[in-house]
Amino acid sequence: MRYRRLLFLAVLLMITAVIAAACSSQPVEVTRVITETVEVPAEPVEVTRIVEVEAEAQPKFPEGTEVKILQWSHFVPQYDVWFDPFAEEWGRANGVNVTVDHVNIADLAPSLSAAIDAGEGPTLVELPLAAANFVEGVHDLSDVVMRAQELYGPMAETCVANSYLPAIDKWYGYCHGWVPDPGDYDIRLWTEAGFPEGPDTWDDLLEGGAFIKENFGVPMGLGLSPEIDSNMAMRAIIWSFGGSIQDENECVTINSPEVVSAVEYLVELYNRTMTEEVFSWNAASNNQGLIAGELSYILNSISAYRSLQKIDPEAADNIGFVDALKGPNGEQHASAHLWYIYVIPNYVEGPELEAAKEFLLHLTANYNQAVFNSELYNFPAFESTVPQLEGWLANDPFGSRPPDKLQILLTAKDWVTYLGWPGPSNPAVAEVYATNIIPTMMGKAALGELTPEEAVAEAEAQINEIFAKWREKGLVGCNE
Amino acid sequence: MQKSAAEETAVYRATTHSKTQFLFDNERFLGTIFLAPAVIYIIALVGIPFIMAITFSVTDVTVGDTSLDFVGLQNFRRIIQTPQFQRALKDTFLFTIVAQIFVAILANILAVILAQEFRGKWIARMLIMLPWATPISLGTIGWLWIFDSKFSPIDWILQYFGLLGTPDAIFGASKHLNFLGREELAMASVILVHIWRMLPLAAVILLAGLTSIDSDLIDQAQVDGASFWRIHFQIRLPLIFPIMSIALLFGLIFTFSDMVVAFVLTRGGPVYYTQVLPLWAWFKGIDGGSLSEGAAIALFLFPLLLVVAILMLRVARRSEVR
Repeated sequence: MRYRRLLFLAVLLMITAVIAAACSSQPVEVTRVITETVEVPAEPVEVTRIVEVEAEAQPKFPEGTEVKILQWSHFVPQYDVWFDPFAEEWGRANGVNVTVDHVNIADLAPSLSAAIDAGEGPTLVELPLAAANFVEGVHDLSDVVMRAQELYGPMAETCVANSYLPAIDKWYGYCHGWVPDPGDYDIRLWTEAGFPEGPDTWDDLLEGGAFIKENFGVPMGLGLSPEIDSNMAMRAIIWSFGGSIQDENECVTINSPEVVSAVEYLVELYNRTMTEEVFSWNAASNNQGLIAGELSYILNSISAYRSLQKIDPEAADNIGFVDALKGPNGEQHASAHLWYIYVIPNYVEGPELEAAKEFLLHLTANYNQAVFNSELYNFPAFESTVPQLEGWLANDPFGSRPPDKLQILLTAKDWVTYLGWPGPSNPAVAEVYATNIIPTMMGKAALGELTPEEAVAEAEAQINEIFAKWREKGLVGCNE
Repeated sequence: MQKSAAEETAVYRATTHSKTQFLFDNERFLGTIFLAPAVIYIIALVGIPFIMAITFSVTDVTVGDTSLDFVGLQNFRRIIQTPQFQRALKDTFLFTIVAQIFVAILANILAVILAQEFRGKWIARMLIMLPWATPISLGTIGWLWIFDSKFSPIDWILQYFGLLGTPDAIFGASKHLNFLGREELAMASVILVHIWRMLPLAAVILLAGLTSIDSDLIDQAQVDGASFWRIHFQIRLPLIFPIMSIALLFGLIFTFSDMVVAFVLTRGGPVYYTQVLPLWAWFKGIDGGSLSEGAAIALFLFPLLLVVAILMLRVARRSEVR
């Protein structure tokens, strides 16, 4: 009898304990910092992970909370291999069902557009650029950005310009990273041309590129076609020559002597160093040309180089990197290659919205993993989250020869700009980009269809029209 | 006399059966049932988007703001002025008309060949149908590789035969023809892919027309000493004209409203020499965020497509009467 009573009391105590634990209103946040050793081509590298431990944590979100992430298939496949389980692991620890869908980078804007129109779809959509188009259809994420800035310091300027719209004071996106766009050059050819360290100015590029084409028959490759790399390259020339499409107040400034000089320079550069192929390029063409050894210089991220390291390490050794080229007055600007901008459409509400925001902060906290698994392709929006970056660039864990080949990228934060520079990347800037007005302007001048002045004037008329339209909607500044 | 339960059941079944039978004998009912899927399909996938396009084109809707604020014809006025639109309009007509002229000629030749008896005819027919059976985007990606600026197999073949890449070569000293980087070659490439894509459909339609011609007519003409060309131009062609018109009109509509070929091959370049209206509508409306302007550009296709549709229906009706 006594034995039975004891057993009954023990069971009662156990049930009480279980109920008390289940009813606890305060979620227990359990995080653990793990230092892992990761095998890479050069030598083992330590990467810090902040994980939330499922077994010990209480779900933070109600049962059935879902976060559906839509993003592009990363250009470095290893990133996706890391990201998907990373997101799912966070979901399991927080009682959130996380799914990640990867699509072609070009399909993101149409997908988001359709989702906003339908009022349902993914929770988080990652856009590479021009996210301001969607400013009215997405949530204000100022609370997440402020929290992240409290925790990790200021966000990189190039990211701020791509996620904040001053005209309506709204953080329409959360930019967690960006990709530098250095110059990639053929070391052997440029050494022959007298520039063993690669070109330093746009004048060097013209001189060396012309020499190489004349003597070795190898052209240089800055795209002049309706695609992303051409848009970025042409803007880099304009900015380095002191011009811009808009000023910091979002007033159109394209028709300036500086921009005309930039177009004149491009015409000469095209005639002396390039071939007609630059008019037919897509985003992969300059990568392919460099890998094939048929281009002496391109403006691109390190993805082409990473591919070459795997295909032909000897050829990869012959690729060098230079920072943004300097213009006639020493100005040095080049856009980032792309950005990682998450937006949350307005139809996302309640726990799903809160969970999505929480995930963004979790990703930022673990950004050293993102950088590492992208093979140093991604750069952080919050520098303090990746203290190892300087060391990795000085001694590339992915087997660059010499190991400090990528160290030049440390300077990227000093010269990196963004589509709307020096103003924000507003919806008008996004439409100018999407309709390829700048490469078309440069292309018409290069082909001799218009003079540089005429080409700039024609572009100005179109840009003014676009800016006026978005200004009417109150999304672009400079109201005169 | 009272009916047994079995008899009553039989009568009930017969009545019910005849009622159902009556319903299926009713042409009006059957017609409605058979037409319903097509009507629903057309309303859902053509009618509603069309009304939406008209609505969008007179508002200031964007990809981020789907509220509809009426702006009248402002979008139309704005887009007409741009050089890209003017070029796109011209190119759309040019590509469509040139491609269809070639399709008409080549489809005739192909259909006459396929109408003959020869060994391996079914394999030839299957191969000819492949471009039509292949998704257009995949087929065009194949062509993109063929026209690649650096790795084009056409360049390699020309180089191999000494026709390209040497100082005295017919096609120039450059190692590459740069098909998609030169205005004329880029336009020709886009037209070529349209021809490649539309030819099988046109050829098969014409083949069906040719095989339906009474062989006595041809035999009679041959007995009278008519040559092949005379038989073809004076007997076969007039007889298959209605069906040929339908083939061509299908081709016109498909080519006029296509954006895939230009999108995959050139994205409208070089500069904007291969820009077409559907592609420009995409760039403006989806990539650029101005849904309303994109809709306005797309609607420029409507008057032409309407005329083509009316023509198609008239030709179809004429051939039915015959």
